[in-house]
Amino acid sequence: MARQGLRARRRRLAVTAIGVALAAAMLSAAVVVSYGLGTGFSRAASAASLPDLLVRFSEQPGSRVVSRIRALPDVSRWSLRLEATNVELSFGAHSSSSGVAEVLNQPGPDQGYALVGGHQLGNHGRQVLVERGVAAAWGIRLGQRIQVGGLGSERVVGFAEGPDDVGYPLAAPRIYLSRPALDVTYGARAIDPRVNLAEIWLRNPAYVNQVLAQARTISYGLSAIRFATRSGVQILLDQAAGIVIDLLVALSVIALVTAGVLLAASARAEVQRRLTAIGVRRALGETRGQVTLAQVIEALGVSLPAGTVGAGAGLAVTYGASARLLMLLNEPAPGWSLWLPLGAAWLAAILLPAAGAAWPAWRAAGGSVVGLLRGGDLAGRSKASAARRHLPAGLVALGGRLAATRRARLLATVLTLGLSVGFVLLMLALASELSTLQTDPGALGKRYQLTASLPPPAAGRVRRIAGVQAVAPRYEVQAADSFELGETVDVIAYPGDHTVFEAPPLVTGGRLHGTRQAEVGEGLAEALGLGVGSQLALALPDGRELRLRVSGVVSSLDHDGRVAYVPATTLLRADPSAGSQLAVVVAPGASVSAVDRALTRLGAAPAAATGATGRGLPLVNVLRAILRAVAVVDGLVCLYALIQACSLTVQEQRRTLAVLRAVGAGGGAVARLLVGAVLTLIVPAAVLGVVLEELLFGPELSRLAINYAVLDLGAGVTEVLAVLAGLGVAAAVAVAWVSREAARESVVRGLAT
Amino acid sequence: MAVLKATGLAKRVGTGRAARRLFEGVGLSVEAGEVVAILGRSGSGKSTLLHLLGALDQPDSGSIRVAGEELVGRHNAALSRIRLRHIGFVFQQFQLIDELTGLENVLLAARLPGAPAGGTHRARKLVDTLGLTAVATHLPHELSGGEQQRFAIARALVNDPELLLADEPTGSLDAENGAAVLDILRDLSDRAVVIVTHEPDAASIADRVLFLRQGQLVPGAEAL
Repeated sequence: MARQGLRARRRRLAVTAIGVALAAAMLSAAVVVSYGLGTGFSRAASAASLPDLLVRFSEQPGSRVVSRIRALPDVSRWSLRLEATNVELSFGAHSSSSGVAEVLNQPGPDQGYALVGGHQLGNHGRQVLVERGVAAAWGIRLGQRIQVGGLGSERVVGFAEGPDDVGYPLAAPRIYLSRPALDVTYGARAIDPRVNLAEIWLRNPAYVNQVLAQARTISYGLSAIRFATRSGVQILLDQAAGIVIDLLVALSVIALVTAGVLLAASARAEVQRRLTAIGVRRALGETRGQVTLAQVIEALGVSLPAGTVGAGAGLAVTYGASARLLMLLNEPAPGWSLWLPLGAAWLAAILLPAAGAAWPAWRAAGGSVVGLLRGGDLAGRSKASAARRHLPAGLVALGGRLAATRRARLLATVLTLGLSVGFVLLMLALASELSTLQTDPGALGKRYQLTASLPPPAAGRVRRIAGVQAVAPRYEVQAADSFELGETVDVIAYPGDHTVFEAPPLVTGGRLHGTRQAEVGEGLAEALGLGVGSQLALALPDGRELRLRVSGVVSSLDHDGRVAYVPATTLLRADPSAGSQLAVVVAPGASVSAVDRALTRLGAAPAAATGATGRGLPLVNVLRAILRAVAVVDGLVCLYALIQACSLTVQEQRRTLAVLRAVGAGGGAVARLLVGAVLTLIVPAAVLGVVLEELLFGPELSRLAINYAVLDLGAGVTEVLAVLAGLGVAAAVAVAWVSREAARESVVRGLAT
Repeated sequence: MAVLKATGLAKRVGTGRAARRLFEGVGLSVEAGEVVAILGRSGSGKSTLLHLLGALDQPDSGSIRVAGEELVGRHNAALSRIRLRHIGFVFQQFQLIDELTGLENVLLAARLPGAPAGGTHRARKLVDTLGLTAVATHLPHELSGGEQQRFAIARALVNDPELLLADEPTGSLDAENGAAVLDILRDLSDRAVVIVTHEPDAASIADRVLFLRQGQLVPGAEAL
């Protein structure tokens, strides 16, 4: 019997330890990812000494650019480089024809990139720095050679991270070369001596807007000029991180609340079991504080190892994934700076359960010693009321009634389970939405199936292809907001009604009419504070400006919703050289591949319209993986909550269970009773979860995600059924496990409680 | 034929240096309609013996047969079935379930999976017979100690067991209520009844009185 008691105690300790470990794991995982992503840009920008202002322009002699920079106020220093695009890069079986080569006029530290391995570029020799994401993806090691188109084989001397853009494969592969070294090796004329990118550091970054305004006035003669500020870069890069951080913080809060409620209840139940012992100790002269301290020390005995293991597990599981995500964003892993917040999380995971144990012990020890010696209740247990006498007396109903005796905990558990259910629904809805966006261009409002690289006059020939319903030139240029030059905007234009080819869902306002109106994406509207009737001012690549009135705000995922649909005549008037392709709508029932072949015969190089932009695909995949992991962890939290709730019911109702077993109830009867207890929890929790997701989580996350994507996050019937089935399975597992454990306990010991 | 037949029972409690032998080679046989009282000092092992006889605990050695079924070495599920069909328990602290009314406490035992048919009818009849109809829908905390113990007796009898085991059935009652409960137990003429008590009054209704002394069951006369 003593061994059975010891085993039962060990099992209770094991359940408590699992709860502490799970909460600690969730907390540390949230800290690792949130801290890593939240501070990633600052770390990267600091390590790379990112400039306050990046100016891109068409190739110019360096001296001409320098004279303009010298005319700017408050400039601390500057750096010039040639940013060559579409460079052939290859290493082993890997290759890319869209590589970016940054040819640095002054290689060395503080040039807008961080050296994360090897050494800096020198002034002679065939050498190259490779972006860390490329090196990781292609398996490049220091000292190996990479083929650079037009140059030949260059030796990799280091790895770099440039936080002014996301990393490979979200962006094109990037390398850094030393102009002095290239000049020595290949001769001064071998490389274009001009530059097209200036990085400018200010003495006081607070004056960046004034410097920008000045820069615009003196940029005459420089074509295709584009400005980006450090804060503008940060806004763009933080969009993806923001949504992940929001999700993780929300999940960790749910996990903590769940674990906190259940651990506190567990501690309370344990104190309840020891009331008589506490009474004896008080009667023997122990103070209230001594009794409480003993309980705290015992709780620490569980929470210290469990919290440490959990925090370590959370760190181990998420650090690698977090570092990979950061690498995609061209940001370094947090390293040792993570230890402070992680240590705080570890401490919280250890101290909170101890505090949860201290409070009921303190309350109990403060009660009447005589009452304690008589085995009094810790209070809070509701007496059965007359109203309940009409309820059926079956085992399932009895289980429900037993679970309901602790009303406050029932409410707290239902609430935490409901939150978890709502959160899992949200994850599934989000993953489903991402899949739709990735695979279905129609979801983005794109009604054309193909694009053809043909000039606008070729539209007539394309229209004559069998199966083509409509065709028109699709103009697209990248502009910058005139006031917030960090914001870049995709400007899209069609002659006539653009909704024939692209009809992104209208959120507010109406479609554009005439030549002075524009529709803007929600991401742009959010970033610039635009609404219907607002003035949209765009700086085009050639320096001209478009000023249009906003007629409506549309949902668009392209370029994070930073798009503007404008009339083609207006765009072409401002920028006659705007690039275009033909957008081709295939008639219903016609063969897209047949049209594709016909376009190929015309020499059009057709391409299928895509869902989420190809550039963002890896990020979408990473996000989906994170969402799946979060949903799984949340499911585990649900399972733990159910097991712990069942265990607590069993623990608190030991005598009742023992009486039932004494009169002949077997394992099946105990299981039925627990089914009743679990149903009392999961039925209201499921309802609460669905309501929360539909009315709060979905709409709220859609609002939070608006800078990143426009998402409809209401859970569908499939998701709801899947979650309910999962909840049912978790409940079945909890009932099976706990009833098996309960059936092992000695009936005699139970009767003695 | 004996409803209960135990032979060579041995039981030790505690482990290591704290191990203690409660009894060794104990035997007991109780016929249908017989009331046996087991007396002994506190800590002599009376309740432990009752738990062994009621399939709530297992002896270190020996054999126990109830209604022809061996209890020793049986699986939990089988022991539950035997308790349900053949054994009724009455406890000192009544052990009613707080959340159920008196009648529901009785009905619950009758409705357990595997319980003999006709339990609902028997439950209502027992409640009526024991004078509890008026308080049948009261919750335990609304009942007097005597009423609670009578509901506990009704629950013990609802599945018509051949053996009734009572552990200090009057221990928590005043003299009047205690006497009433003993009257009920004495009138269970067709069952084997074993009462464990340290109160001589409780033993007065027994057909046979045994003392548990130094690990052995000895007849009352020898014990005196």
